Amino acid sequence: MKKSFWVISLMFVFAITLMGCATTSDLEKVRAQEQEINAKADQALQASQDANANAAKAAEAAARAESALKAAEERAQAAEERAKAAEERANKADAVFEKSMRK
Amino acid sequence: MNLSILTSRLHLIISFIFILSFLHGCAVINKTQVESSLSSGYPERTIERNEFSVAKENDVIGRLAVIRLEKGDTLPDIARHFSLGINEISVANPGVDVWVPEAGRRIVLPLSFILPDAPRKGIVINLATMRLFRFKEDQKSLAVSTYPVGVGTIEKPTPMGQAYVERKVTRPTWYVPASIAGAHRKKGDILPPAVPPGPENPLGEYALYLSKSSYLIHGTNKPSSIGLKATNGCIRLYPEDIKKLYEKTPVNTPVSIINQPYLIGQLNGVVYLEVHASVEEQNSVELKKIFAELRKIEKKSARTIDWIKVDEALAEARGIPVPILEISQEVENNEKMIRIRHPGKLYGSPEIPELNMEAWYVLAAELRDATDASRLAAIINHQGPPIPARILAKNDNYRVIAGPFNNISAAKDAAKRLKIDLEIEGILIEPVRN
Repeated sequence: MKKSFWVISLMFVFAITLMGCATTSDLEKVRAQEQEINAKADQALQASQDANANAAKAAEAAARAESALKAAEERAQAAEERAKAAEERANKADAVFEKSMRK
Repeated sequence: MNLSILTSRLHLIISFIFILSFLHGCAVINKTQVESSLSSGYPERTIERNEFSVAKENDVIGRLAVIRLEKGDTLPDIARHFSLGINEISVANPGVDVWVPEAGRRIVLPLSFILPDAPRKGIVINLATMRLFRFKEDQKSLAVSTYPVGVGTIEKPTPMGQAYVERKVTRPTWYVPASIAGAHRKKGDILPPAVPPGPENPLGEYALYLSKSSYLIHGTNKPSSIGLKATNGCIRLYPEDIKKLYEKTPVNTPVSIINQPYLIGQLNGVVYLEVHASVEEQNSVELKKIFAELRKIEKKSARTIDWIKVDEALAEARGIPVPILEISQEVENNEKMIRIRHPGKLYGSPEIPELNMEAWYVLAAELRDATDASRLAAIINHQGPPIPARILAKNDNYRVIAGPFNNISAAKDAAKRLKIDLEIEGILIEPVRN
């Protein structure tokens, strides 16, 4: 009886010991995993922040380009109107000249 | 902002840059095409303008040429030097400013002509092309003299038909018709019943009176009107051209006045088409005739007409002979335009006297735009008789002043002419020094 008790106790202790070992290494493993995951998370976070910053920069650049395009279009339209006005003045001058060439 | 919007904006910018590059490429290609149509070698000094000899089976005379413009050139001055009308040089060079063309630019001198479809004797005047041809037959070939002309206005057109030279007069007196006197009176310009020979006489120094009553072939005191519909029905020539025509045209010479805007001719087996009616002026009856004629030629000659070239010639209407057969590269090389050296001085171009502190001037206009000022000064310079005019810059403006005039009376006369002929209210400027 006493012998059985000791065997069972030993087995119990052994099992608990084993369980403890397993728990520790699991914990370490988990911690390591957690660290790795954290590192990944850090990377992902940084990448996300970088992407947001780039997107913001690109958006600003696009807005500037759009503004420049609009200004260029307005200038082109103004130049076109000026050219049209100059052509009208030239045509008017030519008409006056042709009339002056009559007897 | 999401990526799809960003992407579409970038695409727009890239497309814009691409289009600009393409257009620049087109400009380069266009310039290259012009360059490739020119003959190689040094520019020539002279080119035939008025006198030609043509074999009886041929219909095309002259050669196309190009000249590079210099600062201060006007198309009327270039036209007169090369015995062309203002109409001919303008339509051959679309887009070139008549009065202020770009210095350095090459322009075409349309000195090649298809003879009109009419009996080749005496004088033939084609109203559509504003050009006169005088034929004289030799044994083997035909001697042709040709000159640009001014013709009647739309309101008072030159009549078509047959006539002959009834009489010839040097230094003619102009008896002012009642209708013209009335029109001038309305403008405040009182004409005498008769204008004696001199710079005020619109008939110039020589006149050929036609058997059609009241119609003449004569010179002019307004050379820049040659190539315009500006007469009351008469035919005007440059002073130097009427002199030559007068000398070689006897009384009783037949005169045929026609209106042919489309001309077909052959030269050494090559068929040419010359179009003088713009797309707006083209009418279907005339076009049908031309197409029928071309189909007849195609059938008779067993050569193929390039109908795309025909269509292009009609669309461009540049008034120059265009080869329209499907031709070989060798023949195309022969069509290259010759380069003409710019003459030192253009014949007949206005002389602008130096500024004179003791003379009167007339301020014609003060303008913000330099090109407008140059244009106005050129138009005043080309009045008949000429009124010298120049530009004086003042701060950001440009003043067009006419003169110098010896006295206040001459200045007032000039101001009156500016008012009547050009609707300009001139302001007299007294001499700086008495």
